[in-house]
Amino acid sequence: MNASAEPLIRLDGIKKVFYTDEVETHALAGIHLEIQKGEYIAIAGPSGCGKSTMLAILGLLDTPTEGTYMLNGQQVSNLSLSERARVRNREIGFIFQSFNLIGDLTVFENVELPLIYRGMKAAERRERANAALERVGMAHRAKHLPSQLSGGQQQRVAVARAVAGQPSILLADEPTGNLDSKNGEAVMDLLRELHRAGATICMVTHDPRYAAHADRSVHFFDGRVVEENVGAGV
Amino acid sequence: MMHALLSDSRHALRTFRRSPGFTAAAVLSLALGIGGATAIFSVVDGILLRPLPYPDAHHIVKLGRTSPQGPNDSFSAADFLDVKREASTLGPVAGYREDISDVTGSGTPVRVAGVQTTAAFFEVFASPPLLGRLYTTADEGRGALAVLSEGLWRRQYGARDDIIGTRIRINGVPTEIVGVAPAAVRHPHAAEMWMLTPGQVPVSPIPYDGDADRDVQYFTAVARLAPGATLAAANAQLQEIGSRLAREFPDTNGGESFGARPFAASMVADVRTALLVLLAAVLCVLLIACANVAGLMLARGLARRRELAVRASLGASRARLAQQLLTESLLLAMAGGAVGLLVAAWGIDLLLALAPEGLPRLGDVRLDWRVAAAATLATTVVGLLAGLAPAWQSARPRLNEDLKDGGRTGTAVRTRLRSALVVAEVAGALALLVAAGLMATSLARLRGVEPGFRTEQVTAIPLPLPQSRYDGPAQVRFYNAVLERLHANPATARSAVVFPLPFRGNNAMAAVQIEGQPVLSRSEQQSAELNMVSPNYFETMGLPLLRGRAFTPTDVDGGLPVAIVNERMAALFGDRDPIGRRVDLGMWVTVVGVVADARREALDVAPKPALFLPADQFSVPFMSVVVHSDLPAATLSSTVAAVVRELDPDLPVDPGQTMTEVLDASTGQPRFRTFILVAFATLAVVLAAVGIYGLMSYSVSQRTAEMGVRLALGASPRQIGALVLAHGLTLAGLGVAIGLVSAAGAGRVLASLLFETPPVEPRVFLGLAALLLTIAALACYVPARRAMRVDPAQALRGE
Repeated sequence: MNASAEPLIRLDGIKKVFYTDEVETHALAGIHLEIQKGEYIAIAGPSGCGKSTMLAILGLLDTPTEGTYMLNGQQVSNLSLSERARVRNREIGFIFQSFNLIGDLTVFENVELPLIYRGMKAAERRERANAALERVGMAHRAKHLPSQLSGGQQQRVAVARAVAGQPSILLADEPTGNLDSKNGEAVMDLLRELHRAGATICMVTHDPRYAAHADRSVHFFDGRVVEENVGAGV
Repeated sequence: MMHALLSDSRHALRTFRRSPGFTAAAVLSLALGIGGATAIFSVVDGILLRPLPYPDAHHIVKLGRTSPQGPNDSFSAADFLDVKREASTLGPVAGYREDISDVTGSGTPVRVAGVQTTAAFFEVFASPPLLGRLYTTADEGRGALAVLSEGLWRRQYGARDDIIGTRIRINGVPTEIVGVAPAAVRHPHAAEMWMLTPGQVPVSPIPYDGDADRDVQYFTAVARLAPGATLAAANAQLQEIGSRLAREFPDTNGGESFGARPFAASMVADVRTALLVLLAAVLCVLLIACANVAGLMLARGLARRRELAVRASLGASRARLAQQLLTESLLLAMAGGAVGLLVAAWGIDLLLALAPEGLPRLGDVRLDWRVAAAATLATTVVGLLAGLAPAWQSARPRLNEDLKDGGRTGTAVRTRLRSALVVAEVAGALALLVAAGLMATSLARLRGVEPGFRTEQVTAIPLPLPQSRYDGPAQVRFYNAVLERLHANPATARSAVVFPLPFRGNNAMAAVQIEGQPVLSRSEQQSAELNMVSPNYFETMGLPLLRGRAFTPTDVDGGLPVAIVNERMAALFGDRDPIGRRVDLGMWVTVVGVVADARREALDVAPKPALFLPADQFSVPFMSVVVHSDLPAATLSSTVAAVVRELDPDLPVDPGQTMTEVLDASTGQPRFRTFILVAFATLAVVLAAVGIYGLMSYSVSQRTAEMGVRLALGASPRQIGALVLAHGLTLAGLGVAIGLVSAAGAGRVLASLLFETPPVEPRVFLGLAALLLTIAALACYVPARRAMRVDPAQALRGE
């Protein structure tokens, strides 16, 4: 296999079991999945099917109970906590359903935060954060606090924060879940635009309308992939 | 790194501004802890740790004697001169005793705290003069030279340079002021003037055989180690000299030896344990404050789980998150430290104002760079300790859950850690509370001791006489003339003179041999307290005469030397009646009466065998007048002063004190340490109560949905309240159990400071445990009430 054929993400036999008291819950039951560089993939399914768990594992927020996870050709399922933090910082950009902006930081500071953690010099940070904000059309609100923004604006800032570090993949967890339809569409447009510009995106959604925006949608049920629709996107 | 720190600091300050309640509670807790610790540290530092302000102060030693009766710091003239001559391991050796210094000749006579010293005194301390010169061994034999303290020079002489070389009348003797000692020279305690003794040793206040006398031990000796000599070598040599003298002079020196100990340690030996206990207590308070702030930060950390999870999802490592939280706790600690320094400044003033008289080296207690450095260190340690638990928690992220539920539910581990902190706080608070309770019980028992003489409506006025103007017969004449005039006045008719005045720290002892009993060597003889009193003393002080007679005006010098003994002394006569029998105390005296036992040294020192001798037959120039009258002490002092003025206009009279005040002053040290311990214990209890309240409030807010479910399932509000109360009391009970065990250990450390109070006093332990549990229940009450008012419909909607 040559380097260009190597997928950005490859999951082999990923299982996730939650243990609570005497109950075992199998959230993921042997997932095999590949995501190519530049691909826009949607993970869909009903509530409790394991899609968010899948995203948490993809984002190195959680570890699989079993299976291997290769990211950019690197085995990342058994990294230490600090190595996972480093990989998250450089390779992954998160967009959450509830935005998860830090209320005490300004818009600019929120976008700058992952770059600070990367140890980037101040001038370069400023340049990249401003560029990201301009990209999502929020540069004029750089000095505002998140509480001074609408939900749609907050999600755009969250997108700016996710792309500022130029990660390998954007992971979006129900990015429109807390938005009205108009703002939801706007965010979806923004993601589509990022994808056109070359970004790899993996989005979790339970809404088939939004899943249809992706190149490929993977349907989960009871922790398994039950269906894949290729070419459903743009 | 620096940028990250600045960024974290900026963010922390911003979040503190947005949480004023949290910030104020944390800063106040830390300020009280750090401030209290700093204030007590300043006292411990000034008294125990700070080097004495003399060059090579560790070479200064205090000389002492050991005898079968115990250690003693007093020297006789001959013993002192032998040591001075023979101890090659010692450099300059000086003797001194405190003496009155009446400065006359320029208006109203002034009495200052004087010290009579031998010529080498300042060579021992080796401090350079502030002005003029300090007398030296080259001045030996000259006498009539004096050195002023800096304080006296400024206060009395307006800091005039031309005072050097002038002659002032001290105790009626023209004396040349040769120099001014810097303020750092403060020995003995509160000395204002040092006077060169005319001979090789200080002048004895009682008759003695001059330089050859080994029987009358009346002054203190200090020395500086000879160059190259060690303390051990000096002690070995002093023991050798002591043994030789014991062999050569068995009557006076039998069984005795000499020794030296570091001067600094000798000054503070009596207060070391008490100060270390106070330091331990305040460190305990500091740790409780730390635990409190850690608990607050943990609660805040739980509320910030989503933020921390977001940061982690953006790539912040565990170390980076820990750094941020530690930065926050350090900033809080710095704010607490800054306010704490203000608390400390105020606390030091308060401690100095409350400090009992006689606490050594109080002049060295101050807020300076050493104390500030200690406060900074405490602040840093506190900042790290308080931030450690939250930082550790941040290193155990549950990112996925935290990002989803935003910290609405605390994990068992996180709650357990907070609970553990509260248990530790309660345990520490109870240990302190019990320590304070033991001290307070001990103090109450001490204050409840009957001294054996009347304390109400008795005023004591010190009336020492300068020996240079009053020899033995003149002393007798003077005191009799004073008493004659006082007896003529109905307001002061019930008056007498006495030395030593009970509870003032003066001492007069003698080895006694009872006639008819086997003759013992001096080291084997019973030692007895000597008291010189005028005939009316027993009546004035309400000391019951049990047998025989009191002294009469016929018991005068030249008559039959007589004595009255107390019950303990009478017991030494065995089955035989002491009346009419004789006692040898260097001269034979005939016992004419027996009085009841009374305490003389302190309330916690049981009465010892004592002899009362008629002041007319055994004169000393340090008598105090005691007057039994319902008039105020100030009025009686004025009356006595007026009488003295008639007799000797050059004799100043210090204000008198009631015997109740004298007794109060004698319990100053236990009262001082009890007050401080009670204050710290109260603070610790308040902090622990705040800790319990905080935890229970947080717990209730976290369990609102659970409460709603319970209510929906049929639980009554009372049952919900009981649930909260039971949770809080379980933690408090665990803390109380640990605290009781810790208190038992602390009690053993306190044992040496307790009077008639066992280190494990069940009433104190159980009473205070019950008190703390009651306070804990009260702290749980408000959260429990809130839990009882939970609206189940609303709570379930929230879930």
